[in-house]
Amino acid sequence: MIAQYLALAQLHAPLLTMLIPLCGAALAILLPSRAAWAVAATAALAAALVAVDAALRSLLPAEPLTATIEGVMLYADGIAIYTAALLAVALALVVVGAGAFLRDFPAPIASTALALSLCAGGGWIGALFARDLLGIFAAVEFAWLATVGLLALSAERGALNGASRMFVAGGVSSAMFLLGLGLVHHGVGATDLAVLPMTQIEAPRLAAAGIGLVLLSVALKAGVAPLNFWIGAAYGRASRLSVLVLGGIGAIGALCVVVRLASFALPAPAIGEGVSITLAMLGASSVVIGSVQAVGARNVLRLAAYAGSAQAGVALLCAALGSPAGFAAAVVQTLAMLVTTLALLGGVAFGAGGAAKLEALDGLGRRSPLASAAITASAISLMGAPLTIGFLGRWRLVEAGVGAGWWWAAGAVIVTSLAGVFYGGRLVERVYFRRVSGAVQTASEIWRFAGAPLLIASVCATVLGLAPDWLLRAADGAAALMAGAP
Amino acid sequence: MTAELALFIVLVAPVAQALLVIALARPPGLRDVAHIAGALTTALAALYLVGVVADGGGARIVLARPLPQVDLAFVVEPLGALMAATLALLGVLHAAHSAGVVRATHERSPARLMAFMALAAAATMAIAFSANLFTFFVAYQALILAVFPLVAHRGDEGARKAARDFLATLLTASVGLFLPAMVWTYALAGALEFQAGGMLAGRVDAVTANILLVLYVLGLAMAATPPLHRWLAASSSAPYPALVSIQALAVLPAGAIGVLKIGAFVFGPALHEAQSATRALIVLVGVGMCAAALIALSRQDIRERLAYSAMAQVLAVTMGTLLALPAGLFAAALQVVAFACASATLMMAAGTTAAVTAREKVADYAGLGRVMPWTFAGFAIASASMIGLPPFAGAWAKLWLITASAGAGLIWAAALAGIAAILTFTHLGPLAAHALAARAPTDAFKRPDGASILLAAPVVLGAAATLLLLLLADPLASFLSPIWTPAS
Repeated sequence: MIAQYLALAQLHAPLLTMLIPLCGAALAILLPSRAAWAVAATAALAAALVAVDAALRSLLPAEPLTATIEGVMLYADGIAIYTAALLAVALALVVVGAGAFLRDFPAPIASTALALSLCAGGGWIGALFARDLLGIFAAVEFAWLATVGLLALSAERGALNGASRMFVAGGVSSAMFLLGLGLVHHGVGATDLAVLPMTQIEAPRLAAAGIGLVLLSVALKAGVAPLNFWIGAAYGRASRLSVLVLGGIGAIGALCVVVRLASFALPAPAIGEGVSITLAMLGASSVVIGSVQAVGARNVLRLAAYAGSAQAGVALLCAALGSPAGFAAAVVQTLAMLVTTLALLGGVAFGAGGAAKLEALDGLGRRSPLASAAITASAISLMGAPLTIGFLGRWRLVEAGVGAGWWWAAGAVIVTSLAGVFYGGRLVERVYFRRVSGAVQTASEIWRFAGAPLLIASVCATVLGLAPDWLLRAADGAAALMAGAP
Repeated sequence: MTAELALFIVLVAPVAQALLVIALARPPGLRDVAHIAGALTTALAALYLVGVVADGGGARIVLARPLPQVDLAFVVEPLGALMAATLALLGVLHAAHSAGVVRATHERSPARLMAFMALAAAATMAIAFSANLFTFFVAYQALILAVFPLVAHRGDEGARKAARDFLATLLTASVGLFLPAMVWTYALAGALEFQAGGMLAGRVDAVTANILLVLYVLGLAMAATPPLHRWLAASSSAPYPALVSIQALAVLPAGAIGVLKIGAFVFGPALHEAQSATRALIVLVGVGMCAAALIALSRQDIRERLAYSAMAQVLAVTMGTLLALPAGLFAAALQVVAFACASATLMMAAGTTAAVTAREKVADYAGLGRVMPWTFAGFAIASASMIGLPPFAGAWAKLWLITASAGAGLIWAAALAGIAAILTFTHLGPLAAHALAARAPTDAFKRPDGASILLAAPVVLGAAATLLLLLLADPLASFLSPIWTPAS
């Protein structure tokens, strides 16, 4: 009987990955904070289990999942399966770690914060599995508004400003998406993504403009530079849970959606070239601008956000190549970005109490060894040090780029790594070679250990570059199962 | 013991040494025993590997495959074995000396200092035995990160700034110049494996070879090629044991080994394709040698004087490699060995002097040889070797370098090497002579019992090593010959 239920769950893995967090959110909001946390953590872990199982069953042998349509418009292509598993695991780690942050919110609001975190995760996962543009739009807006709500739960004025900036940015992005959706409908005659690579496009210019607008719209939500005007305000004063959801779920989720949309659009002969140029330009500008912004940042949360912009740029460059090798590189780079972001933001949130100024990291090596290890791992990965996941992602871009004659992509990698040397080196120096000035309050309650899984996982994932065989196989599997793959 | 096991021990023993030193930080006796025993284990294993190579054997170990078709691998070959054995043997003397220095100076956090010195040694061994460019790059980055805490060890604002300069210069050069060159090489050769005869030979046109050579040589900022040499003087405020690592046993030698490996195993005969770049770089390093020796003469602080002196010596390695002749490569290899022995001896002698007399100004060295005869005898011998006076080791290296320059038709390069040797004489010769011949100061020691055996013996043994090389020039030439005469 149990085996039958499990088989049924496996059959409907994409739907479950999306629905379990949403059901968990519905339950969590009704419960007191600690019980809500237990429910939320269970739901997030269950969703992660289902998503990882689906990824292992599908990507390693490169076999598509079967029977994934249940009346809702879902489409489980390789990139969706891979990136949904990433997001689900990240969501589980963040929600489990949120046990340490519940006191940041007044008691009745803590449950709402957990529910909104789950909604954000479920929304982005839904966007990854959605089959048509309208579905993606609905899911993205749901996830975005949940994140804005979470940010607004903080009583601090700076966080409210960040939330309002996000709200405005979201409005701009929605308008662009809807306009793009309309153009695609006019140009292609449908909004179903699955038909895009094979359909005969009647008005390619309209369709290309439409897809371009849609990509820009979601890229804005991923914090890709120069569309990242909102992230300084949003990250700068966010509460600890908000910043983890924003960086570890929101930015990554949006980037994954962009990569997936590109995997549908690039194989379409009539519009592929235009989309490729758009993505390449966006990626290159994000690498340069994000790197410069990160070098100049004095707020560690903003530094993480800007470094994420630079990393997202690398992923976009990978995707812009349009080849299976490029998409395999893009998903590896997405994992690299997720790991470094979670390690850095997690280290700050759990070790330095979420303090925003760089000075808060002074002497952290003595006060909080695990959080310091996470920050160091993130910094080294951001530098692109060999054997780290950061190096692996960039090397895959270089391999794919050089193979396609895109030598300048290697230049972008160098820019990212050079900038990483400066801001990553600054983080390491503060953590280990400065002494704390003044008294520092350290958390002593048992709940602080809730952050340990996130920190340990991110440190371990950073050194995935040592033995990346299975990861590369999964990435190749994702690229082989993407829409329009040869 | 198999060669593979010995290679593994060479790579792992310093790491274990670092962990043990931290774990056995108290009592200090146990810490020092662990420190010296770790260095000794590494040295014995490295010596065994020299024997293996001399018998025509070899070994290769693969630790991981982090990229498709690229291994994290280490291989035993003549150049790596010789460099590793030299540095590891000197490392034993350095371990004993550093134990003496941290006791005499009551150094803050001695276990941390020793641990990072051991990690630096591990990274240097990894560089020497690296089987391909990727492994070399990994080890190079690891060395930068291991030495960073040594430069910042004092913990004050000056030390932090020096450490930031060190990290920024070396990482920026390696990421901004060396990494692109490595990627380019991978695109050209389809592999990153070092091979005698050069992986680029026959695969590269003149323009590409010129650009690649400049990227590689400047990317290896550890070799202190101008203008990427400022880290060396900036880091001279580190404690003396750290300085021995930086200037004699880890950082500068690693840069020199890197240049040699690039010349012998990446370019090989393809260096002839890069004639414009080789000429320009030879001018750069030749003038750099003279300028460094001249700047050393102007410095009154012994740390800075020795730093610039070491820079002049290490640039000779780059010059020898760029001459693109077997004689040039041999001169460069011999220069690394001679330079490491002499520089380690000089720096240890300066450390001993500072520990027992607190004197660090050149002018204050006058007459100290009368009260510290063993230490300053070693100092004088090492100075003679750095200058290139026969019969010390440096003389053979200089002789081969001048011969190779003349053989390549670059008389001006030979002249630059000669001028640098004369300038080295001017900044080291009178210093050693005054220390030995001037009137002894009456208040030399801050401690009544003078230098302990741990402080004096390593200096004397280091000086003896520069004499020993007198006998080894010919055997070394035949030992190293496989690197320029690859098996067909």
